[in-house]
Amino acid sequence: MTIDAEQAGAMLAEVDSIVAKVKRSRVYRQTGGLLILWGAIVVAADLIGFARPRWSIAAWVTANALGAAATFVMLRAAAEPPSRMPWRFLAAFALFAAFGLLWSVGFGHFGPRELDAFWPTLVLFGYALAGLWFGAAFAALGLTLSALVLAGYLWSGPWFDLWLAAVNGGGFIVCGLWMRRA
Amino acid sequence: MDAPDETIHQPVRLRIMAALTALPPSDEGLDFAQLKTLTGATDGNLGAHLDHLARAGYVEVAKAFVGRRPRTTVKASRAGRAAFARHVAFLRSVIDGA
Repeated sequence: MTIDAEQAGAMLAEVDSIVAKVKRSRVYRQTGGLLILWGAIVVAADLIGFARPRWSIAAWVTANALGAAATFVMLRAAAEPPSRMPWRFLAAFALFAAFGLLWSVGFGHFGPRELDAFWPTLVLFGYALAGLWFGAAFAALGLTLSALVLAGYLWSGPWFDLWLAAVNGGGFIVCGLWMRRA
Repeated sequence: MDAPDETIHQPVRLRIMAALTALPPSDEGLDFAQLKTLTGATDGNLGAHLDHLARAGYVEVAKAFVGRRPRTTVKASRAGRAAFARHVAFLRSVIDGA
């Protein structure tokens, strides 16, 4: 059997294409579970914020702590080897949280409605950036949900928390279910 | 290496091995439906090629039921990973020697 350089090049290109698809699919499968988790957290915290506005901050602090802990456990289980600490995730999470707190608590002078819009759009901005490296679905998720959150901020009136539960939390869950099947 | 691996050289089997070896050894592998999508093969065609690779010792095929549905999962064996690496090295050597 003889193979010329052109045939060999075509075969290697085929191999590279398949490898890229499998790796992207694996990232989507692993991330799908995280998106469903955070979607459920967002739905719960936004519904509490709508029904009991005074509990909103406590609900979000609790929800974020539980979500971060569950995310850490899921990422550590998925790491290769499994015992490796997901330091990059922890660093990225800490940087985003520090930036968010700096502006929302420190310099921003945001009202409750602005805070409700700021945090989701900050997180979704991270997803849009992640899409540049890990797959277009992340960018689509970040940009689409950001646009919907801003639309709710501008036009949903007193139903903004419900809008966020449906669009932001629901959007995460739907995208997570799709990614697990991708 | 101066010759291609006859088992892996066939295009569908090359795609199967590329997909399976892209996963780390600890991964559970890919199921039949995922492989079908990745390779573009029909059910019968994919099954025949998987049999061929299993006979060569390059893949491990596990069949189980998830609920009431049968699920076939395929993993690259250690020998399959090594053979695929050698085949890819051969293809690169062809390009480098041109």
